Amino acid sequence: MAEEFLKIQNVSKSYAGVRALNKVSMSIGKGEIHCLVGENGSGKSTLIKIVAGVVKPDEGEIIINDKTFKHLRPIDSISEGIQVIYQDLSLFPNLSVAENISLNQLIEEKKQLVNWKEIKDIAEKELSNIKKEIDLNERVENLSIANKQLVAICRALIQNAKLIIMDEPTTAITKKEIDYLLSVILDLKKRGISTLFVSHKLSEVLQVAERVTVLRDGKKVGDYNADELDYDTLSFYMSGKKIVSSAFSYEEKPGQKAMLEVKNLSKKDDFKNINFQLKPGEIVGLIGPLGSGRTELALSLFGLNKPDSGEIYVDGSLVRIDSPQKAINLGLSYLPEDRLNQGLFLRQSIQNNLVVTILKKLLDRFKLLSYERKYKYAKEWVDRLNINTPSLEVAAQALSGGNQQRVVLAKWLATNPKMFILDSPTVGIDIASKNNIHNVIKQLAKEGMGIIMISDEIPEVVRNCNRIMVMIDGSIVKEVKAVDITEDELFDILSSSQKR
Amino acid sequence: MMTNNKNFQIQRIFAQNESYLLLIIIAYSIFVTFLNPSFLSLGNLFNLSKSSASMGVLAIGVFVVLLSGGIDISFTAIAISGQYIAVNVLIASGVDNIFFAFLISCLVGVGLGAINGLLVSYFKIPTLIVTLGTLNVFHGLLLTVVGTKAVNSAQLPDCFKAFGATNVFTLTGPDGVSYGLSIFTVIFIAVALLTWFILKYTMLGRGIYAIGGDAEAAERAGLNVARIKFFIYCYVGILAGIAGVIHVSLIRYSNPTYLVGTELSVIAPVVLGGTRITGGVGTVIGTILGVAMITLLNNSLILIGLSSFWQEFFTGLIVAISVSFSSYQSRRGIAI
Repeated sequence: MAEEFLKIQNVSKSYAGVRALNKVSMSIGKGEIHCLVGENGSGKSTLIKIVAGVVKPDEGEIIINDKTFKHLRPIDSISEGIQVIYQDLSLFPNLSVAENISLNQLIEEKKQLVNWKEIKDIAEKELSNIKKEIDLNERVENLSIANKQLVAICRALIQNAKLIIMDEPTTAITKKEIDYLLSVILDLKKRGISTLFVSHKLSEVLQVAERVTVLRDGKKVGDYNADELDYDTLSFYMSGKKIVSSAFSYEEKPGQKAMLEVKNLSKKDDFKNINFQLKPGEIVGLIGPLGSGRTELALSLFGLNKPDSGEIYVDGSLVRIDSPQKAINLGLSYLPEDRLNQGLFLRQSIQNNLVVTILKKLLDRFKLLSYERKYKYAKEWVDRLNINTPSLEVAAQALSGGNQQRVVLAKWLATNPKMFILDSPTVGIDIASKNNIHNVIKQLAKEGMGIIMISDEIPEVVRNCNRIMVMIDGSIVKEVKAVDITEDELFDILSSSQKR
Repeated sequence: MMTNNKNFQIQRIFAQNESYLLLIIIAYSIFVTFLNPSFLSLGNLFNLSKSSASMGVLAIGVFVVLLSGGIDISFTAIAISGQYIAVNVLIASGVDNIFFAFLISCLVGVGLGAINGLLVSYFKIPTLIVTLGTLNVFHGLLLTVVGTKAVNSAQLPDCFKAFGATNVFTLTGPDGVSYGLSIFTVIFIAVALLTWFILKYTMLGRGIYAIGGDAEAAERAGLNVARIKFFIYCYVGILAGIAGVIHVSLIRYSNPTYLVGTELSVIAPVVLGGTRITGGVGTVIGTILGVAMITLLNNSLILIGLSSFWQEFFTGLIVAISVSFSSYQSRRGIAI
């Protein structure tokens, strides 16, 4: 094994009596690409903060380059070469690439005056070191997220980074950009610089890392070589539960007509020539990377993004869906991707959130809102979807991600939709809740609902859909039955078309 | 690679708001000259630069605050406080010296600015609320404690009048009328140069840009955000103090109810000059062009023969249009 750069030994930390970390040990070798994975609340962030010196551990020690630190301060961590790149990157959008790369260095040197040539030289040197070219005068806000990350990496390298910790670096970038980022990381590895990825996306973890450390409930589950892990074992280690997900079986009834049919639907810059059908009881997966047009297509079906041309048929008759209200009247529902902003009134009670779509049904004979009926409806849905809450009066923001998503689901199910478009229904939800939501979705399909499930997670669509459509750059490039394709094959299709 | 870079730079110059504004100013000047040939005389231009100097100095201050992502609307109250107190102290003490007037006015300015700075940087109150409050507090205090009586030209110490008449050089036109470049203009240029230098070549200045871009990132990068903010509001105070003295020297009349209420006409040129209202983006040259444009507009309305009440209308319109324009650009992802 390579020489160790960082060793963490028996580190524990409690917040207000709750153990966030419990005797965790791990080590990172020089030049190693290491992944730290765990679900929300597993202690990942606490561990990073301890390594950065921002949080003091209750016990345990940290050994960097054979120097033992009992009380690591932020300044020690930085001077030993540990640089954390937070999820928001902490860049200045309004300043040039050169200045973003060099500014921290100048601040550290306690400069009073600015030498612009020096700023350029520093930035140029570091960019050429990682063999990438970005226009030094460009404002950072005009860069792609991948290039922004490069700027952040350069800034870290200037401060003599030996270990770069990247917090959820791949959440908002496309697969192509992940590959690009990876090429930079591999280059750093050659220079002996280690990288620690912190992530909860399983597929990319396996693609990137050499070693993986799994945390669960503040304890280390274990260290593994990445090649001895697969999706199922990793998700088992992370959740501690053996998730048995049965594949979705759909039996087509002969002669059944499509409830939704889309013909040659196009919208400039979003998608082109989209054709597909949805039959009752089907779950059709729509998979594609961020920016492939999948969400735009869904919005068009729900009347929120007017298409330029093409036709939409519902139950065989041509319709024009130009507002969400119209979509709802036609029996469509839409679960937005960003459930916190678009799907929930966070400060309102669960009860109010649940009934907001069906207020008309709750009126009494004086056309006033009946509290009795409101309670009855809300209670019914909380029971049906197993929403875990102490009371109906709790504010929606107090719920866990999985329960919040169920509230949003229930809210739309209450309208009795015939068709349901789910945009990334399980994003950011822990594995057990994910499974629960998948079961709800399958049950709905069994009851005859037609479902379109948008996702960028391969296992999610392969295991929960009967048909899969792959969307790349605005076109559906492949349509296949789920039983006819493996996760690996789907992965290849997605990554090969990305590289074009 | 090099030529590539050059091309980029040329493109960038054309993509900038400032170049558009300059073109508009030139086109508009030609238009006005057609209607009234006396517009483009050197004498009129010197006059314009003299009468707009006080607004220009204030605008530079507002520009710096906007750049940091904040806003200051109490600067008019600070300017009039500095001016009115300076005038009264000079009268009471009998010291008839313009430097003394500047000293007092700037001290008042920096003191009041420091109050804004403290509230903004240490108590982290939103800048609009702070300065909306202090605008009224400062002005209310001035009127109740110092007084409400205007000082007319006859009572005004001579140094103001002499200062107002000072030209750096004087030319005599063919018609025998002499005109010159006022010292006001020189002060405005000096303030602009100083501000440009601070913003471009000091870490303090880069810090102001950084805070305007992302205050939290600035904090993480190790910048002393509270101290920089404190500086900004004190700086605005000093500039307001300077502008106050220029203002009284120009109109030879000190009325404590003047200036307050004209905040928008100072914010307008800054926004017009391409400074982003959300902070982080803007240049001194843009602000100067903005001041030039607004001055030009106000002046030409009279030359064209429109009532001066239209000024208010156009000022408001310009703010609305330029803010919508830059928001539209940023929404479409166009680099400005």
